[in-house]
Amino acid sequence: MIPTHYFLILSAILFSIGVCGVLTRKNGITIFMSIELMVNAVNLTFLAYARQFHQLHGLIFVFFVMAIAAAEAAVGLAIFISLFHHRETIDVDEANLMHW
Amino acid sequence: MFEFAIFFFFAAIAVIFALVVVLHHNPVVGALALVASFFALAVMYVLLEAPFLAALQVIVYAGAIMVLFLFVIMLLNLQHRREEPTRPVQQFLGYTSSAAFLIGLVYYIVKYAAFEALPNGPFNSDARAIGIELFQSYIFPFEMVSILLLAAIVGALLLSARSVGARAQ
Repeated sequence: MIPTHYFLILSAILFSIGVCGVLTRKNGITIFMSIELMVNAVNLTFLAYARQFHQLHGLIFVFFVMAIAAAEAAVGLAIFISLFHHRETIDVDEANLMHW
Repeated sequence: MFEFAIFFFFAAIAVIFALVVVLHHNPVVGALALVASFFALAVMYVLLEAPFLAALQVIVYAGAIMVLFLFVIMLLNLQHRREEPTRPVQQFLGYTSSAAFLIGLVYYIVKYAAFEALPNGPFNSDARAIGIELFQSYIFPFEMVSILLLAAIVGALLLSARSVGARAQ
């Protein structure tokens, strides 16, 4: 059996890669994909702890996180399509329509 | 021993393709690399004795969500567009702060979360066990998630349809 902290460290690495993508990229869809990467890293942590403590609640949480990620992807991509129609770009620095 | 070999092989695949997502300039390549990374994570879920969630990972994430991403990238024709690089200060701060975050996380995981042993006995987490738990203890959140998905569908339709309609006028 693989110890739990191996999975936790893998999850930490994937989460940090996602953070790096959000902080250093300008393309909105790439930033969104980095966020999905972070969500998956957290899912891996949930499952590692679910096995460690023999609890089903972690698995249920992963189920809900997947449903919410689906909703988030649908709305987020619709926002990007709308932004693209207004600005002809999805560069997040150009997305300043609500700027005062 | 065989389990460890599988773990390290697929962990390396997941990390390498995650790096491709973050570093490659073409979003189509990034989306396909993310699909590969999600497949490697599904293998991790199988190693964690959660085969039902591994199947969900492949069907929902790699199948549905990433197809949506690829569809939008190709609809907006983003793969030929040059992405301007971010400012050097932002690049430097992003890389160093995420590396520092990683080092801190790994330090605290090794210090506090390195559990000695796993509990004995098989962990029953098949679809039947999850279904019973989901429809007994978690029935209210389950219904809330269904309403949330409905709201997301309506919101996505409204956001994208209105901009198309405004263009047609």
